Amino acid sequence: MILRGLWERRTLSLVVLLIAIVPIASAAVGPIYSAAARTTIARDAVEAAPLEGRGWRYTTTEGAIEAKVAEFTAGADFTSRPILGMETTSGRPGDRRAYSLVWQDGQCEHLTLAEGRCPAAAKEVLASQASGFEVGERIGLSSIVEFVSAEGQRRPAKLEVVGIYRPGPADDPFWFGRTLFSPTGEPGENKADALFTVPQTRLETYTISVGSGLRDQSGWTDYAIVYIDLERFDERDVEKLAAMQAAAESAGRNTNAIVYSRVADMLKAMTANTGSLGVPTLLVIAQLVGLGWMLLFQTVGDLVRARGAEIALARLRGHGRVRVQVFALAEPLLLLAAAVPLGLLVGRAAAGAMIGALLPAGVPVFFPPDAALAGVAAMLGGVLAAALAAWRTATRPVTEEWRRTPRRTARGWVLDAVVLAVTALGLVELLATGVLTDVSGRSSGAMAVPGLVALGVALLASRAVPVLTTRLFGVTRRRGGLGPFLALRQVARGPVTAGSVIVLGAAFGLATFAVSAWSATTGDYAEAARFHNGAATAITVRPVEPNRLVAAVNAADPGGRTAAPVIKMPGPPQLIASDPARLAAVGAAWRADLAGGTSLAKAAAALPGPASPRVWVRGDRFRAVVTHDKPPKGWTIKLFATLRVPGQLRPGHIPLGELTGRSGTHEWNLPPGCERSDCELRAFTGEPIPPPQFAASAYVRVAVTGLAVRDQGRWRTLDLPQWRVDEDPGKRDGAFAITMVGNQTLRPVTYDPEMAAVTVGPVGRKVVPGLDNAFADPVRGVVTSAAAPGLTDVGVLVDLEQADRHAYGVHEKAEFQVWSSLSDTAALERALERQGLTVVSRRTAADLAASFAGQGPGLALLLLLVSALAAAALALGRTVLALYTAARRRAYELAALEASGARVAALRTALLLEQVITVAAGTLAGLLAGLVAAGAALGRIPQFAAPPITPPLPHEVAVAPVALVVGAALLVSLLAAVVVSELLLRGIRVERLRDAPA
Amino acid sequence: MSVVRCDGIVQIYKAQDVEVVALRDVDLVIDEGETVALLGPSGAGKSTLLWLLAGLLRPSAGRLWLDGADVSRLNQRRLDRLRAAHIGMVLQNPARNLIGYLSAAQNVAFAQRAVKRDRPRARDLLHQVGLSDAGDRPAGRMSGGEQQRLAVAVALANAPKLLLADEPTSQLDEESGTRVVELIKRAAADSGTTAVVVTHDTAVSEALSRTVTIRDGRVGAEGRSGEDFVVVGREGAVQVPPEYHHLLPPGSMARIEELEDGIALRRAEP
Repeated sequence: MILRGLWERRTLSLVVLLIAIVPIASAAVGPIYSAAARTTIARDAVEAAPLEGRGWRYTTTEGAIEAKVAEFTAGADFTSRPILGMETTSGRPGDRRAYSLVWQDGQCEHLTLAEGRCPAAAKEVLASQASGFEVGERIGLSSIVEFVSAEGQRRPAKLEVVGIYRPGPADDPFWFGRTLFSPTGEPGENKADALFTVPQTRLETYTISVGSGLRDQSGWTDYAIVYIDLERFDERDVEKLAAMQAAAESAGRNTNAIVYSRVADMLKAMTANTGSLGVPTLLVIAQLVGLGWMLLFQTVGDLVRARGAEIALARLRGHGRVRVQVFALAEPLLLLAAAVPLGLLVGRAAAGAMIGALLPAGVPVFFPPDAALAGVAAMLGGVLAAALAAWRTATRPVTEEWRRTPRRTARGWVLDAVVLAVTALGLVELLATGVLTDVSGRSSGAMAVPGLVALGVALLASRAVPVLTTRLFGVTRRRGGLGPFLALRQVARGPVTAGSVIVLGAAFGLATFAVSAWSATTGDYAEAARFHNGAATAITVRPVEPNRLVAAVNAADPGGRTAAPVIKMPGPPQLIASDPARLAAVGAAWRADLAGGTSLAKAAAALPGPASPRVWVRGDRFRAVVTHDKPPKGWTIKLFATLRVPGQLRPGHIPLGELTGRSGTHEWNLPPGCERSDCELRAFTGEPIPPPQFAASAYVRVAVTGLAVRDQGRWRTLDLPQWRVDEDPGKRDGAFAITMVGNQTLRPVTYDPEMAAVTVGPVGRKVVPGLDNAFADPVRGVVTSAAAPGLTDVGVLVDLEQADRHAYGVHEKAEFQVWSSLSDTAALERALERQGLTVVSRRTAADLAASFAGQGPGLALLLLLVSALAAAALALGRTVLALYTAARRRAYELAALEASGARVAALRTALLLEQVITVAAGTLAGLLAGLVAAGAALGRIPQFAAPPITPPLPHEVAVAPVALVVGAALLVSLLAAVVVSELLLRGIRVERLRDAPA
Repeated sequence: MSVVRCDGIVQIYKAQDVEVVALRDVDLVIDEGETVALLGPSGAGKSTLLWLLAGLLRPSAGRLWLDGADVSRLNQRRLDRLRAAHIGMVLQNPARNLIGYLSAAQNVAFAQRAVKRDRPRARDLLHQVGLSDAGDRPAGRMSGGEQQRLAVAVALANAPKLLLADEPTSQLDEESGTRVVELIKRAAADSGTTAVVVTHDTAVSEALSRTVTIRDGRVGAEGRSGEDFVVVGREGAVQVPPEYHHLLPPGSMARIEELEDGIALRRAEP
């Protein structure tokens, strides 16, 4: 009987089924998509982490490494196969450097063989080119011995060099960030490049502890490198990852094992970012499910009401209350039960499609249990709707079912009042809170405002439309014809109108908000990315001296239109140093309105400082002529010159000897790099060394009176520059003081001590890091802007030339980039490589914007956009169907009108107008609600996991997408209205008057 | 024994904020096995009275006994049970009595659901209304006449003590109408079923043992054995039947003349 009934009402049943599927699917999509998004975030966090943050190096001196690592990784199927290794360290007779003898499984695949072969037998080693060893040479290491007689006589084991390797890239993950060899291939002072051997060497040699001379069984350290395998890592593994990290941290306390890793930092970033996804996603799902419930509520109600006559018949035949309820609920419950698996399947498919389209490739789509629970919970909304509708139908007087004009029941205000009150509270919370920076849940009420506003405005519109049409109804009585009269009468009295306006208003409100938020947020992402990236593309290169960077860029882009050299310091305050002219030419991110109307070209033009000649030194020996006070008795005063040496980022210091008390000449050899190219004299400093006992501190005044450099055996006198003392800026005579407290530095004045800068944020007199991260001086603000290229926080933009002159060297925190106006930088990169730069990576503003979109709020917004549009389409369909059904119920009345002489054209106008008024009212109410919600919420609800400090975001809603959505809705509804009207008109026949009115 | 007893029934309902008195001071007693035709113009309150007798409405005032039970003292459950066991009803529109997608047999079975299912009776009823060969044809696809006959069979499915029918022959040809009336009369004769039939069809009213005419919500007249009587109401009101309005038009004044066994009304000329 139930199935027959469903078949009897197949259209409505199908609609209920479809509409029930949507909230179930929406509810299921959320957890599936959310899980995939969390996987994306988790993988991104792993990918962005340094090598040490992507795994662990488990080290033990107690052997059994494989078992220990197996225990450590037990249950973690997301880890790569451990890379096993062992090493021991030893000195070498006649060499003060330490040698590491290493075996790491697969080592030869990660070393470039320059000569010979890989070690294959015990006591064979592979040495680096920088070591100076030759193939066939036998090396003895102090601590690695072999026994030559049964009595225990031993000697250093002879390790045969069977091959020579060239160092591979230092960032090869195989080495887990270790510096087993110098990446530049230059010999180290204290540590020699590692010698690579095979495990058999350990078996055929012994290690002895330095000093004790004893045989040491455990002189080797075993290690295993375990990486997180991104391909197999998903959000479900985060908990296990945290447990592994906790185990790693406790390993050092509980055992002799040491687990080295920076996974903890990575985990912290990962947890923060995944946390930012949870609440927005939950709210999006809640709002969508709420909308789905509303649709379901009305449609299931329609289904139950469609059975009103049958239910009344059951009551007439004396069926008990329970039996009547079961009878009334049977069909909707069966449909809802069928909708659950279908909805979950659709949800799984939709989530798969969304994940495929919106998230990076390779993110696994799995079905978390939450998805099924959410689907069932969404279905319960339909059960509630069915139960309420059944209860209403089963308890209202049976005779009402058979009245010719059923009594109208007034719509209550209670629900509307509750919704409006909650909406008002949410709005107040949102407006009072200002910008929400916490996305973890405390402000969830405020984040639900868009959905509440949509529903609130829809409810108000549903009240307003009948009132307005009632007013107009009076006008149509007198003029306008029968069509408008009938249409307005129906809209004014029709309960279908109110329901449809609510559903359409809420659905389109949410859709308009979603589209507005998406367009505004996309714009904000693009704007933030444009400024944060600096220019269209930022190419990161390996650090070189600033002048080499500038020269390489100049050579690669002689026209000066497509590339600009940039060095970034993290601060705070942040510092961006670039070539001002090129910066302006490559169209770096800039908005004159944020800088008081100043253009980038004008701002850049104000940055360069004095171009005083720099003191270049080229040769093999340096000489300084100084006059000075006599050092106090017992004190030793050492003099140093500080040089910028080509090939070195850090400044080089050369000793110029002790001040003896007699003024005169001080000389020292220049670093080798100064023979090949120019070094730059950056400073003179002194170091006072006190006697064991002294009464007063030394104060020795030193003045530099002459400079010379020897090149190819000939001394050349250098022009004396203007001098400046860092600690006493007024002193310009080349003299400075060497003391215990307030020791001074003498520097050639080749720069503006307070660099001209574009300042962003409250920089004031704060010292800025400089390229050497010395935080020595403040800057002189020439332009104040709310945002500047490359700055993500408070910071300054300065001239690279001035910054270079100002700093002693370049700190390791400095990031070297080349900004380009081009999106495709392949040719530029090749040109830069030809100039000796090594391109490490590149990032376009679009990439960065995409990465913002991949954060929690961005992913939640995408979910909202897709689902809200789908829900709006469904709401439109449901409304058209409701109007069709309502008009069909009036077929008798329309037939009567036709029989009484009403023209078909008038009936057509009536049907068309009725539908257009209802749909347009709902859609426009939705548009209004969406724009109100966007106005209130945009800029307040989070768009970023960590909100950027600069630039100020415009939150501009693009008109075109909103107009497209609303226009498409109106167009589709108009077409649907035409089709529905024609279908209905065909069904109106005078013969129907023979039937009793339905 | 009376199956129906109405004592000063008043029924008021609210429509568009206006209270409408559908029935006023209706006193009516219908005995077991009686077949009563409820007559009267449209809107007189016939259907309302029928719904009251079906226990679908509770009187606004007055008391109503159905099969000896005071309706006002029955809770909904007992009222449902009373209706399930003892009352059968045929609604005015035959389609409304049926579930359109069910077969004739299933419709009869549906009416028996609340009581013990009686397949032989169902078969017998369908045979009596000439639908024993209806098969699985859904009721919705039957003709109006078939539907009306099936509606009567459905109403008799629970072997009711009280059969209520609202225009049961309105869509039937003469022959079918006669069959339906015979069916009702046979039920009354064989099972002692009391039938109350709302009808405008004189053939039906003449075929039943008693007529009750409702006018303006009151019992205006009764007819027994072919003779019509006016009914003196609670306050002594008497409704002049329409056929005498040309002698004593509404609004005119009359003189009362006392007779030995009653009174006579004579038009008083102003």
